Amino acid sequence: MWTHSKRGGKVVVYLIAILAAIWVLLPFLWAIINSFKTLDATFTAGAIVPFLNFQPTLDSWKEVLGDPQSINSLMSSAIVAAGTTLLVMVLGTPAAYSLARFEFPWQSKDIALWFLSQRVMPPVVVLVPFYIVMVQLRLIDTWTGLILLYSTFNLAFCVVIMRDIFRDVSKEVEEAARIEGANLWQIFWMIALPLSLDGLIVSAIIVFAFSWNEALFASALTSQHASTLPAYILASRSTRGVDFNTAAVNTIIAIAPPVIMSFFVQRYLARGLSFGAVKG
Amino acid sequence: MAIVELEKVSKRYGDVLAVEDFTLNTTDGEFVVLVGPSGCGKTTTMRMIAGLEAITAGSIRIGGRDVVGMIPRERDVAMVFQNYALFPHMNVFGNMAFGLRLRKLPKQQIKEQVNRAAKILGIESLLNRRPKELSGGQRQRVALGRAIVREPRVFLMDEPLSNIDAKLRVEMRAEIIKLQRRLGVTTFYVTHDQVEALSMGDRVVVMLDGRVQQVGAPKELYNKPINRFVAGFIGSPAMNFVRARVSKDGTVSAGQDIQLFLPDSQTEKVGRLGLGEVWVGVRPEHLKIQRDNAAIAKNVINGRVEVVEPQGSTTIIQLSVGVDIRLIALINEQVEPEPGSVLALSVASDSIHIFDPATDQSI
Repeated sequence: MWTHSKRGGKVVVYLIAILAAIWVLLPFLWAIINSFKTLDATFTAGAIVPFLNFQPTLDSWKEVLGDPQSINSLMSSAIVAAGTTLLVMVLGTPAAYSLARFEFPWQSKDIALWFLSQRVMPPVVVLVPFYIVMVQLRLIDTWTGLILLYSTFNLAFCVVIMRDIFRDVSKEVEEAARIEGANLWQIFWMIALPLSLDGLIVSAIIVFAFSWNEALFASALTSQHASTLPAYILASRSTRGVDFNTAAVNTIIAIAPPVIMSFFVQRYLARGLSFGAVKG
Repeated sequence: MAIVELEKVSKRYGDVLAVEDFTLNTTDGEFVVLVGPSGCGKTTTMRMIAGLEAITAGSIRIGGRDVVGMIPRERDVAMVFQNYALFPHMNVFGNMAFGLRLRKLPKQQIKEQVNRAAKILGIESLLNRRPKELSGGQRQRVALGRAIVREPRVFLMDEPLSNIDAKLRVEMRAEIIKLQRRLGVTTFYVTHDQVEALSMGDRVVVMLDGRVQQVGAPKELYNKPINRFVAGFIGSPAMNFVRARVSKDGTVSAGQDIQLFLPDSQTEKVGRLGLGEVWVGVRPEHLKIQRDNAAIAKNVINGRVEVVEPQGSTTIIQLSVGVDIRLIALINEQVEPEPGSVLALSVASDSIHIFDPATDQSI
């Protein structure tokens, strides 16, 4: 029984942690190694250690960064993800606040359920209907189309999460602001929002990451102009097969922004991800 | 500074009547304390004055102006909350300046007003700190500062001292009274602590189950409680109540061990009402130890000592009289009677309160 020995227990814990780390990090390693290979080298078995097994080259990077379509996808991704995040937060936080604070003719609980039902449905079910709607609205292959689409997916999530976060703001504090002369909008803006900042940032990051990563709808609804990075990576399949080297470069470029972003807001993440569970 | 007039103010939540026909006119600069057990409607009443709670019926006027339907800002009141309710993301200056900034006062004036209020409360050195860096007493001061800085017409304080430790509470109590006198602002103060109510209020409103029981100066409530609830609620330890029979000559008796003589005026009233039985109320501090048994045989109660609680300068003695009567006596000296021994207590006739058992009203 390993639990009897503290050292044995530690060994097991570390072993699991190392296995988990390998499991998580191996794809990254694969991407990094392959991004420095030529297309031929990506098909060579055992070409793992640079200089020893294969000659590293920056050709793939040059190819990708020199390709206007690749840069265009990066920009599309950034605009669509940022646009979605902005739209969702601007519409979602006031909605969440009113659900947290006011009584509605229908029970607030049911409204939340209605919002959540959006999340339960498998997205692919609505792919074709959305395609038809987008065609009719002439929003195929546009940033606006993707932003609107992603916002419908994420708004419910944002509202439900932010509602719980706003509920944790002390009512007495808001009443004090009211007595001091603040109107509803001022209370929301000057009291409730700053006090929910960590939750707000975490929600925004989750929405951003979703929009940044989404590949299915992006592939279906865009072709050239508004094609996002995930859609572009999926399209790495050419008639000759998959260009693993350039796909690897694109993958690294795609992963970088959310990772860098989470580093900056790490202190909010730790508290925000526990949401209402732990009172601060 | 303003007179506050409440007329037949009621608040109903569904089927529950939280406050019923609350009527009170303050004088300018008066310190009014609302006191009662929890759920009696005192906080609801205050929230209705503040404008945080809509009223179901009645009218509220501040400075002669009807404020029903007005938002808190238009009423020009300030409130101190039980949990301070400071804005955690602002420093002390920001907390105190919040209301002034909303009113778009010039920066220089805001600074002057905040500094003046901070000086009054002795918190000038804390202006740059966040609420979480302050002690409970300091937070309370900041909450008071936020209230006084706007120079509102009415202060509302909702159990502001209940989260502060006992020693500091006595200090803050005196400080709030001094502050209120100095500023001369009409103040409503909610508490469930009758000691606080008696020591602070110019007038005290005793409430129970949403209804005002009695309004009066602290002494008046203590000396002439209008009913059995007020008599029992005001004063500590609480008044002793004994069910007793009245005879025509003005003696009330409960068993063989209690026989008291009422003053003539009360005998007359009881006689007029034709009551056979009454509630007799005697405050613990009005029971004296009868040392010379032979001297006065009048109003003597013989009790068996059960528990003796020394309080330092005073002593609380719990006694049993007869089979089922329990009395508490507060003796103003250090005594140590043996538990189980018999103690003779006396009470002056004019310290005896009589209540109608049917209505619980004072006679």
